[in-house]
Amino acid sequence: MSSTAETPAITLYTTQTPNGVKISIALEELGLPYTVKKLDLSTGVQKEPWFLAINPNGRMPAITDTSFPDGKAIHVWESGAILQYLVETYDKDHKISYPKGSREDWQVQQWLFFQNTGVGPMQGQANHFFRYAPERIPYATNRYIAETERLYSVLEAQLASSSSGFLVGDRLTIADITTWGWITIAEWSGIDVAKFPALQKWQKLLEQRPALKRGADVPEPSKIKETLKSPEAIEKAQQAATKWIVPK
Amino acid sequence: MSESITLHSHKGGPNPWKVVMVLEELGLKYNTIFVDANTGEHKKGPYTALNPNGRMPTLVDHSNNDFTIWESGAIVLYLIGKYDTTHKISFPDFDSTAIANQYLMFQMSGQGPYFGQAAWFMHFHSEKLPSAVERYVAEIHRILGVLDGILADKEYLVGGKASYADLSFIPWNWAFGFFGEHVAGWEEKYPNFTAWNTRLNERAAVKKTKADKAAVN
Repeated sequence: MSSTAETPAITLYTTQTPNGVKISIALEELGLPYTVKKLDLSTGVQKEPWFLAINPNGRMPAITDTSFPDGKAIHVWESGAILQYLVETYDKDHKISYPKGSREDWQVQQWLFFQNTGVGPMQGQANHFFRYAPERIPYATNRYIAETERLYSVLEAQLASSSSGFLVGDRLTIADITTWGWITIAEWSGIDVAKFPALQKWQKLLEQRPALKRGADVPEPSKIKETLKSPEAIEKAQQAATKWIVPK
Repeated sequence: MSESITLHSHKGGPNPWKVVMVLEELGLKYNTIFVDANTGEHKKGPYTALNPNGRMPTLVDHSNNDFTIWESGAIVLYLIGKYDTTHKISFPDFDSTAIANQYLMFQMSGQGPYFGQAAWFMHFHSEKLPSAVERYVAEIHRILGVLDGILADKEYLVGGKASYADLSFIPWNWAFGFFGEHVAGWEEKYPNFTAWNTRLNERAAVKKTKADKAAVN
């Protein structure tokens, strides 16, 4: 509609995080053009009025889509809701989804919620207490690492029994896409991925996909693997993040 | 089991009651099985065969080949997708649905997990950890502030009517008493939120759910 080759209808507000790459991966897998607006979270841009008008929750990712059928732009936030929006609007051939109302579609929703309400929040708390909290609380660190590992074991069992190697049915879906980014930063969160062989195999399977690789590098490639190689780099990254993540 | 739906529930936890509310709103008949978390029943078979995550709720729809689904948000989407054909608490149009799902996700990934962690560090954990309590209390207030802002010019989150998106927040809102002094004065501080919460709690289905919960606790 209002979309042209120069100005894609979809704008993605994002940064290099597990929740951000979910959306760029889905967009790449669907072959949709989009503009990337990088949010530098350390400047507090996500709490500025112009962005709160897009997402009153002041978090990323969010999208705007000017090709919405009623002619008005639509804003959608919450990564899980954006994934649902993208497949229902654009995935008519069910490349990364299943027909609405099918058994597989409901299972995709179930695993989508499992990541967005379980793995994401709990691994996020593990990051906080393991990496960023100004006060080190062993109990809290252990609580969230243990809970994340428990959630990983649920994924592990599902993947170990999957003949396709994906979470639901015979194809990559938004259930896999929503999960991948968090699994790739497991080491940063203090989680021992060696305990989860089926999950590692799944991660490799996904990383063979060129579209996934392209989406994973938005807005720029992740530095986490490089950072983890050096204790000094880890310390520096933790301190930089603590400055803006931990409220004063 | 005479009814066509079975809900595997938990007496105290907020999430199963979210599903009960939707079942009541839609006038669906269901059996309830309370899973006893104190005995670890939820972490072993036969329950984990239904839900490998070992959490409640799980819903089984006997009228659909015993279709089994867990995660309260996914169950809610299943129920409205399959049974709310007149859109009593959902929407016929795609854009309203997209936004309702956005708020449902916000409840599921924001309100639920953070209110839950606050409750843990305030009441269940044996050791007092003020910085952990502070972290989650701050997040409760942040979320209430976001909702209060969103509701400044509307009665309901989407489309001018109560929907599954609004209802999903209610079971954790019931827990305010539990947060005590940490949320003292919330009615005055978040007036739009409070008016919305009151409006929703006046609904017959919400009242019945609240009474059903009180009766088993």
